[in-house]
Amino acid sequence: MAQKNKDPEKPEQIDRSRRNFLKTAGAVSTVPLVAGIAGAAVADAQTGAAIAGPGDVPIQLMVNGKRLNLNIEPRMTLLNALRNKADLTGNKRGCDRGVCGACTMIIDGRTAYSCSTLAIEVQGKQIRTVDGLANGATLHPVQQAFCDRDALMCGFCTPGFVMATVALIEKHPNPTPAQVKAGLDGNICRCGTFTRIMEAATSVKGVARG
Amino acid sequence: MANAQQPGAPQPAPTGPTANAKKYAWPEKPVVLSTRVKRLDGPDKVSGRAKYSFDINRPGMIFGKIVRSPHPHARVTAVDLSEARRAPGVKAALVWKEPGTEAASEVRYQGEPVAAVAAETEEQAIDAARLVKVTYDVLPHVASEAQSMASDAPLVFQGGNTRKGATQEMGDLEEGFKQAAHIVEQTYSTHVITHVCMESHGCVCEWEGDKLTAWVSTQGVHASRQQLADGLKIPQANIRVITQYMGGGFGSKTNVGAEGLICARLAQQATAPVKLFLDRKEEHLDTGNRPSAFAKIRAGVSADGKLTAFDGQSWGTGGAGAVSGFPLPYIYQFPNRRRVHTDVFVNAGQQRPMRAPGHPQGCFLTEILMDELADRVRMDPVEFRIKNLPEASPNAAWGDYFRQGAKAFGWDKRHPTGDPTPGPIKNGFGVSAHQWGGGGRAGRAHCEITSDGGVVMRTGTQDIGTGTRTIVAMLTAETLGLPVSAVKPEIGDTMYPVCGASGGSTTAASISPAIRIAAGKALDQLFEKVAPQLGVSADVLVADTGRIHVKGNASKGMTWKDACKLIGTEPISTDGEWEAGLSSTGTSGVQFTEVDVDIETGIVKVKRVLTVQDCGLIVDRLTAESQVYGGIIGSLNFALFEDRILDRVTGQMVNPNMESYLLAGMSDIPKIDIMLVDTPVQRSRGVIGIGEPPTVSTASSIANAVRNATGATVRSLPLHPHKILAAIEEQKAGGTK
Repeated sequence: MAQKNKDPEKPEQIDRSRRNFLKTAGAVSTVPLVAGIAGAAVADAQTGAAIAGPGDVPIQLMVNGKRLNLNIEPRMTLLNALRNKADLTGNKRGCDRGVCGACTMIIDGRTAYSCSTLAIEVQGKQIRTVDGLANGATLHPVQQAFCDRDALMCGFCTPGFVMATVALIEKHPNPTPAQVKAGLDGNICRCGTFTRIMEAATSVKGVARG
Repeated sequence: MANAQQPGAPQPAPTGPTANAKKYAWPEKPVVLSTRVKRLDGPDKVSGRAKYSFDINRPGMIFGKIVRSPHPHARVTAVDLSEARRAPGVKAALVWKEPGTEAASEVRYQGEPVAAVAAETEEQAIDAARLVKVTYDVLPHVASEAQSMASDAPLVFQGGNTRKGATQEMGDLEEGFKQAAHIVEQTYSTHVITHVCMESHGCVCEWEGDKLTAWVSTQGVHASRQQLADGLKIPQANIRVITQYMGGGFGSKTNVGAEGLICARLAQQATAPVKLFLDRKEEHLDTGNRPSAFAKIRAGVSADGKLTAFDGQSWGTGGAGAVSGFPLPYIYQFPNRRRVHTDVFVNAGQQRPMRAPGHPQGCFLTEILMDELADRVRMDPVEFRIKNLPEASPNAAWGDYFRQGAKAFGWDKRHPTGDPTPGPIKNGFGVSAHQWGGGGRAGRAHCEITSDGGVVMRTGTQDIGTGTRTIVAMLTAETLGLPVSAVKPEIGDTMYPVCGASGGSTTAASISPAIRIAAGKALDQLFEKVAPQLGVSADVLVADTGRIHVKGNASKGMTWKDACKLIGTEPISTDGEWEAGLSSTGTSGVQFTEVDVDIETGIVKVKRVLTVQDCGLIVDRLTAESQVYGGIIGSLNFALFEDRILDRVTGQMVNPNMESYLLAGMSDIPKIDIMLVDTPVQRSRGVIGIGEPPTVSTASSIANAVRNATGATVRSLPLHPHKILAAIEEQKAGGTK
């Protein structure tokens, strides 16, 4: 049936093909709804594999270096879990389908659209959001560069751009304009701050390679 | 970047400055104004600490979701909420579109609100919304201007599918065409685009008894309060609207919309705070758009390059029952002209003002025509435009800007229409001009100075991203001779003095006089307290560099702190409001663009844009420039990428998202040079506003540059590759007359 992954410790074995996803979804739907709402993980009657949900399940996330325990439905995105359940509202929801980048977080060193990432999938990973970037009143060099160059207007896309720039700078401490374009092309700003974001990203100094 | 020079004497203002405006005139040598001050809320925005309305989480808060019509035109015959009410977590449900047989039961566009639910989690609210059973009688619809105007079109709007406007006429059209050596007759058009604010429309509503607090993502806190009061039928005094931070509006957020009223009602029914923010699809369908614009134009030019006649029939759609007007012809002087406009209604969401409403459309339709006419008389486009401008004045200074801009841009390197070099990449230059009103209207401010030296400036305006909070502090600091950091600006709350909505580039010009006067009056009161201590009369005192002292004698005085100690327990508290004489209306600007066009793929790459732009007295040079950058990039989107596409058969929007509704990214951004005009003449005009003018004409200059590169004219926006290829093919086949 659906759950082919024999070793739950090795999530990379999960077959992410669309066909298999549909099978998984089918398996979930066979679980009685009442049980799903009442309980957390429910055993699939045929395979014995653990299936989470559809009701709230406890999860543990590592966000900005702190352990965060949440009870959420397994279908909840990382973005919604943090915004709606943990009041970590720094990262924003713009398109909710992995295009605009306002939700950009850094997960295990790589940028990710948190609106298109399930919270339950990123347990055990290091999640960084814009909320945890500044050290008290001292801004991260990328944040400071954005302020200095006026690389923001309404500011709603800014947290995503800041996180994408942090990931870029940690990879390329002195990025070329071409690297900035490649690194930030997954983010959209409607106010039109791109010119100054480019200035900011190419002016950042003092960020160690991540 | 170089400052542009602007000769020419100022025109007399329509109404003279008031006594206060004379008394508190802008300083001749400003210390803070016109400098580059970093936006004060930058650190809060880059760190995520800034709480946008979308970020407000209240204790016990639940989530609202609207049920919307999937049909572009239908009658709602029944709404059944019972199953939705029983769904997990649901706390409230309501019918918004009452079913029946009356016109009020009709939905006239896909996405029109019909019902709503609220549940404990957002996911539960989405589930429950799916369980609302709505029964529709589907009615015939029209999805395009052509369908709506067709002779056999179904009559879908009461009073007709179209509404013809009055004819605007001037001069003698027949005589004008007689004088013409060349006549161009073509149809030009622009498309519908949506605002795509990064923060969607919505609010958080919380009731306490009969009092409502609403955190709205709005461009007008006071306007929102009024709309909520009208819609909910409660006194405005019972409503507080707060917008500390909002994620873009571009004209679409001057109204709380159905979503605001629905949110308030859900919160009332659930007796819990409700958050209701729209998703991206709802944003595209139901929060406004820029109307389309079409014009069939016949225009004449004399052999020596003077425009003689313009005869235009124009139309456009602002959606279901909304207007679609725009200025035409734009800027250039046709002594004999006639224009008649028709609003065309289609079954789509209604338009709302969008950054310089009407102007980008009128500008494109005219500017493309101008290049076609210039070619007929074999004149350089800049020279041709200069020859046909209205009389120069401080708010109509295009002639000088064209000359300065052309020089800085290297316009002399422009080749005639059609890049003669071999190879598939063709290079071209384009030019365009624009205007905008802006200027001040009613706005109020309140200044408080306390005995500890603190200064608070409160004004019930809001920051839509332009940097309003920062200029409130700058204007106050300039007046009081303090550093910007010494002023606490408070905005975005109906608890503060009434200000209008941020639309029409009026915010800076409305609040600046009010702040200047409020702060000036407060300083006068402080002078009255300081004067006896110094043994002088108050009218010899000045405030600068954090001190109050006798004018011309910096040592005879005291520090700001010491002066404020004289205030005592009752703070100095003064009011100011907008008065004539400290702001003006009317800006002008020109833009030059260089593009590369790949004639094998039809892809346009904008290489650089140069603009000469005035805005009267510059308040914050840094954020003023940001507005110009943003305007240009917005217009580049209009020219090359975005397009609201309605399926012609089903009337459904096929791209209600951000992956197929295209917007520029980092790689699409050209080099942008801004020549902000800062001259004594402009400074003397006071504050005007710069949010809208820069976004008017970039699309036109891009289109003209594409024409210059390819030798083919694309007469409709957007400049999508297939249209460019088609125009090139048509040109090869002999072109159009």
